[in-house]
Amino acid sequence: MTSKLVASTLRQHLTKNTNLLRRHPLSTATAAALTAEPQTHEETGGITMKGVKISGRPLYLDVQATSPVDPRVLDAMLPFYLSRYGNPHSRTHFYGWESDNAVEHARSQVASLIGASPKEIVFTSGATESNNISIKGVMHFYKEKKKHVITTQTEHKCVLDSCRHLQQEGFDVTYLPVESDGLVDLEKLRDSIRPDTGLVSVMAVNNEIGVVQPMEEIGKICKEFNVPFHTDAAQALGKIHVDVDKWNVSLMSLSGHKIYGPKGVGALYLRRRPRIRVEPQMNGGGQERGIRSGTLATPLVVGMGAACEVAMKEMEYDEKRISALQQRLLNGIREKLDGVVVNGSMERRYVGNLNLSFAYVEGESLLMGLKEVAVSSGSACTSASLEPSYVLRALGVEEDMAHTSIRFGIGRFTTEAEIDRAVHLTVQQVEKLREMSPLYEMVKEGINIKDIQWSQH
Amino acid sequence: MAATLTSSPSAAEILSLFRSFIRIARQFPDYNIREYTKRRAVDAFRQNATLSNPSSISDAFSYGKSQLEVAKRQAVVYSLYVPPLPSIMDLPNKPF
Repeated sequence: MTSKLVASTLRQHLTKNTNLLRRHPLSTATAAALTAEPQTHEETGGITMKGVKISGRPLYLDVQATSPVDPRVLDAMLPFYLSRYGNPHSRTHFYGWESDNAVEHARSQVASLIGASPKEIVFTSGATESNNISIKGVMHFYKEKKKHVITTQTEHKCVLDSCRHLQQEGFDVTYLPVESDGLVDLEKLRDSIRPDTGLVSVMAVNNEIGVVQPMEEIGKICKEFNVPFHTDAAQALGKIHVDVDKWNVSLMSLSGHKIYGPKGVGALYLRRRPRIRVEPQMNGGGQERGIRSGTLATPLVVGMGAACEVAMKEMEYDEKRISALQQRLLNGIREKLDGVVVNGSMERRYVGNLNLSFAYVEGESLLMGLKEVAVSSGSACTSASLEPSYVLRALGVEEDMAHTSIRFGIGRFTTEAEIDRAVHLTVQQVEKLREMSPLYEMVKEGINIKDIQWSQH
Repeated sequence: MAATLTSSPSAAEILSLFRSFIRIARQFPDYNIREYTKRRAVDAFRQNATLSNPSSISDAFSYGKSQLEVAKRQAVVYSLYVPPLPSIMDLPNKPF
């Protein structure tokens, strides 16, 4: 209901703007209804959304949630929304053949980015589906002998939820704790492997704190014990060098919309030698070798392939730029503010991610104050709840600091001017909130907040 | 056809390609894409300025030409769907 209301107000605002600007011949009815709308700010041309006045599209610093589609990717996709609409599984006519060729080309583009063979790539609807197939599929297939899964506490929700589902079916799951820098302890991993361990699942780059796990070392341990190794590489693909043989992964989940590709498409890498087998989650026409039935979305698959090819060409260039921007952002904020803590390891970190906690500031007020910067406190999936992120809690970040975390995501299209603007606005907002905060005043006076005995009420 | 592929482009041709990129970049209504197209073209031409091998020069030139075609098409697509609210970076009165 609420979303409906928001949608309708938004639509009204939008139509009003176009009316003002272009004399759109749309409808006089909406224009008449809009005369009673006091929220539009005509002097700036801005709109009011969710009670926040917005004068322009905010600058986007949330590329870990999703990335904009690269124009080169869209250029590859568009023909498949126009005349090349064939079903890639149609074997009897030209339409099918051309779509099939495009899908197979995309498959090889994805495979070459991760150093795999095209035969090892299965297209899915996204990394969540790939994770589900990997975890539930492997354990269901080998359920006679294998009853135990190892994962970490900082995994993505879909991995944790798949594991919870397996627990309800009677499987045993070990959730490995992480160090305060977000990395898994390899000795703890080694110790928790049992004879009936069927899968180890560790994500390559964390979505919230950007920490890069020691994939090669984990792969070696898994090889030593002959346990299949699954990794969620949605945040790693196209950003750090991903090599399935170096990492010794048996399964890997990939996503299209984190690498400037379209939403709604992902891929699963399934090793052929030694072969890993999974029980399909979706049954049907037997597409994708029966592992993921259902007609492939040709335009999306083509888009993912194109995004992988662009990522391969641009990785070096992007990384150089993004790491300079990360330094600019961090230095800019640190120069003007004290009490800023980087969550997660700074050395083993993907440069496009900067998760910061601001002491003595309340997180939600900070996020709402930063309405001209599109950032998030953590993962987009949990951004609706006010609870602090479970990832930060797993790192042992204290409750008050976990509440004030902001994840800045820097991407291919971020500019220096945007970073400078974000620094300016963040500093301004934090200073404003700290000025109001009695806690910060006490700290300035030299009182240690941890020593205060709060009277009960 | 074969002759045009093997002979390396003249300095004037390269300069004209570069100018076309800058011109087409300006046509993107989206702030980030506009800036990226400009920046990427400048950086690519600067990086390729050190090329001396004629075949790699003509490779880079034909790659640039194909990328320019992509940019031309996408500038049209982007200008068809301009969001009603401009980017905050494109607003005239910036707070600082």
